[in-house]
Amino acid sequence: MTFQRFLLRRALMVIPLMIGVVFITFMLVRIGGLDPVGRLAGPTATQAEFDSIRNNLGLDQPLWKQFSIYLGNVVRGDLGESWLSNRSVLTDIKERAVISLELLFWGVGIGALVGVPVGLRAAFRPNGRFDQFTRVLSLFGFSIPTYWLALVMIFVFFYLLGWSPPAIGRMSLLVTPPDMITGSYLIDGVLTARWDAAQSAASQLILPVICLAIVSAAPIIKQTRAIAIEVLSSDTVRYAHACGLPERNVRKLVLRNSAVPILTYIGTEVTGLVGTMSLIEYVFAWGGLGQYGLNAIISGDFTAVQGYVLVLAVFSVLVFIVIDFVVYLIEPRSELS
Amino acid sequence: MSDATQTELANANPLPVRARVWNRFAGIFWLSPTGAIGLFIILFFALLAIFSAWLIPHDPIAAYTDKVLHPPSAEFWFGTDGNGMDVFSRVIYGAKFGFGIAIPAVILSLVIGIPVGLIAGYRGGLLDEVLMRFVDGLRVFPSIILALAVVAATGQSLLNVILVLGFLDSPVFARVVRAEVLGLRSSNFVESAVAAGNPTWRILFVHLLPNAIQGAMAQTAVRAAWAVRISATLAFLGVGIQAPTPEWGAMIRQGAEYMVSGQWWVALYPGLALILLVFGLNLFGDGLQDLMDPRRRSAK
Amino acid sequence: MTLLKVEDLHTHFISRDLDNQICIAKALNGVSFSLEAGRVLGIVGETGAGKSLTAQSIVGLLRPPAKIVAGSVRFEGRELTDMPDAELNRIRGNNIAMVVQNPRTSLDPLTRVGDQLVRLHQIHSGGPKTASHKRALEMMEAVGLPDPESRAKSWPHELSGGMAQRVLLAMALMNSPKLLIADEPTTGLDVTVQAQILDLLRSLVARFDMATLIITHDLGVVAHFCNDIAVMFGGSIVETGSVRDVFAAPAHPYTRDLIAATPERFQMGRAKALGGQPPDLYNLPSGCVLQSRCAYATELCQTTVRNAEVAEGHFALCHYAGRLEEQPAVKINA
Repeated sequence: MTFQRFLLRRALMVIPLMIGVVFITFMLVRIGGLDPVGRLAGPTATQAEFDSIRNNLGLDQPLWKQFSIYLGNVVRGDLGESWLSNRSVLTDIKERAVISLELLFWGVGIGALVGVPVGLRAAFRPNGRFDQFTRVLSLFGFSIPTYWLALVMIFVFFYLLGWSPPAIGRMSLLVTPPDMITGSYLIDGVLTARWDAAQSAASQLILPVICLAIVSAAPIIKQTRAIAIEVLSSDTVRYAHACGLPERNVRKLVLRNSAVPILTYIGTEVTGLVGTMSLIEYVFAWGGLGQYGLNAIISGDFTAVQGYVLVLAVFSVLVFIVIDFVVYLIEPRSELS
Repeated sequence: MSDATQTELANANPLPVRARVWNRFAGIFWLSPTGAIGLFIILFFALLAIFSAWLIPHDPIAAYTDKVLHPPSAEFWFGTDGNGMDVFSRVIYGAKFGFGIAIPAVILSLVIGIPVGLIAGYRGGLLDEVLMRFVDGLRVFPSIILALAVVAATGQSLLNVILVLGFLDSPVFARVVRAEVLGLRSSNFVESAVAAGNPTWRILFVHLLPNAIQGAMAQTAVRAAWAVRISATLAFLGVGIQAPTPEWGAMIRQGAEYMVSGQWWVALYPGLALILLVFGLNLFGDGLQDLMDPRRRSAK
Repeated sequence: MTLLKVEDLHTHFISRDLDNQICIAKALNGVSFSLEAGRVLGIVGETGAGKSLTAQSIVGLLRPPAKIVAGSVRFEGRELTDMPDAELNRIRGNNIAMVVQNPRTSLDPLTRVGDQLVRLHQIHSGGPKTASHKRALEMMEAVGLPDPESRAKSWPHELSGGMAQRVLLAMALMNSPKLLIADEPTTGLDVTVQAQILDLLRSLVARFDMATLIITHDLGVVAHFCNDIAVMFGGSIVETGSVRDVFAAPAHPYTRDLIAATPERFQMGRAKALGGQPPDLYNLPSGCVLQSRCAYATELCQTTVRNAEVAEGHFALCHYAGRLEEQPAVKINA
């Protein structure tokens, strides 16, 4: 199958998922207790004020009509207005997406760079000392509450040691942000040769990225180990030993044959890590999409919640498409389907 | 050798019960030392939760307004928080919340997940399809976001947190049981039970359930760890359990602002307690999966 | 000189159970045989008799918890059981080649067939790549793969089971081995393909003059194909000798049952089914391993058995070897 047809098919498959996601979040938000009217109107509002807000927001319409209006707007690319910030949800999300992607990229990237080799090494000697050690360590990593780790790191590296800048977002208040090109201060700083900005952005990035890397490495270690052990016990490796392939070649074989499942796993892991990332953003006042989503949920800003959830779903699907495509490139057995 | 001769052997040389119990314990410890350590940690916290009334030196929600943010001392072992409450007493009392949320939530997940998995696996068809699509759909969202959204939307009470966590986690068990049932569906003992005219419910709950439940049981400890972690996260975000309830997540939330001004003890200790309990549950859960999977066991 | 000499090989599975008791499954109990250059030996037996384990023990492919606890394996006079892996790797795939049971899953799925052949030749024989490539094509030709040039570019998943087994044979031939071990080479293939592969194997063995060890549960394969036979049961070789002698006058009760249970005999209506459980390897009885299901067993069978030579080169592990008919009537499994 050609790549274009693959993309087309995938897009067609995504549509029902999207409608489902929109429907479920819509219903959840409407039927549930999230009611912005009370919050918007304030404690002293009269019944008439309540009704006029309801009318303005279209909440006096029947549910199905609200839904069809909303769906129609979504199709046209209009996610509505945030009831808290009075800004277009789409603009809000667009501004913040890159910020979060940057954090996610570094965090998961470093987590994978550490986790995959460690998991592989553990798998080559199952139940050896290294394996026992990393296994306990990764279980420990599973158990650390992200936000607490972030707080402790801020305490140690900012308060005690003074090595890192205060956790007030993506850039020191004393540095003017570089001109916007990609939206990432680090990359924009480098591109526009604003070295002070790039440096400030980098130093702000370090703690949240390490935090995310630690939390994402734990499951990657565990899963990589499991995958590599599976491959090691496969007929292929058994036969490679029978053919007298030197240890080095066997390891290469294991590595190549583990690559696809590991990659697929990391893909699923990325979408799960969005939650972890949101908490890190929350603690570091990062101002990205994750923090936006958390705040929207907590404060009951339901246009924003709907937009956020929709974007999350699109993101997951995109990640899976990318993974499918990469797998297609390295795996002769696979077909794009 | 036949069973009969083995029993004879055992009768000829019976071990005292204590030695047998000890052997079994030593065997489990040898096969999964980390799991045994996890069990110790869980038991430790269970004791804290049960006997907290006798263990805590201060009332966990009594505010000593003249002793706000005192560092750890002989009087307040873990210091006091911003309300002047004793952190040590609050941390110990918090164990009640850990178990009080995790146990009912996991039981609820089992009660929902196992029958759904049994029926979906046995019947297949539309129900199975719908269930699997639903589960796949849920996986698009990080579990914390999902839990947060549902709790925020449906009401913020302790009971609601338990219900939401139990409900959201039930697909995990449904999946495991379904997979087992799919493998067992065409096995001889099920087919002969069908041929013998057993009603479906009997096949499901008498014949399939005992054989399909092991994998789900091996998951319980890990899922309990998840429930403890997520409930604390919700409390940290100010959703569900609110301060000044002595729940670990809520306490970390209270202590967050003091981290940058040097009063580390408010958030540190509840966090350590939370990590240790979740770690214990995870260690134990990992050990359980080891013991129940002969393939993982024989690798030793 | 004897090419392969296996002496008193004991392989055990050692593990611990939930009660912290050490459990030992005695999977091989004193296996001995030897193989001369140019001969074909067939090892037969039921599932769990230890046939494949024997092969794995010989070439050092055991995985924990399996372990050789005693015995020796000599290949061209060199001891293999205590040889370090790196040295063994120079023998495996080179002097000793293996053909295994699941050809399709055994080939590396991410490497083209031809590249796998070339890689194997490069690792063991070295030399210029073009020479390896040429040899690969020759060997593919030799195993009867049509159009080797284009086949070399196939991926393993594109091959049928029979073709994959031919590729495995080509892999085995790449470095001109002195010993070929074929572990159930035709299990899982269609019956017609089985026959083709066996014929091919037979012609290759003659053409390349390899000593061959064939592991199978099919007596027919042995009868048509081998010079010598070793019958395994419960981790021991219970009877060994030339195919002609053993088939003409089986001396061990198990061999008799096995021959009586072949499908050909069933068709002739003279078969009796092979009954009974395999012995519990965790609790082997003292004496003969077959005693619980042997129609001839007496109390004598609970004492240690020695190999008895019933004819020249024909041994049986039975107290009554060669005199089953004249045996006293006090039988324990009557």
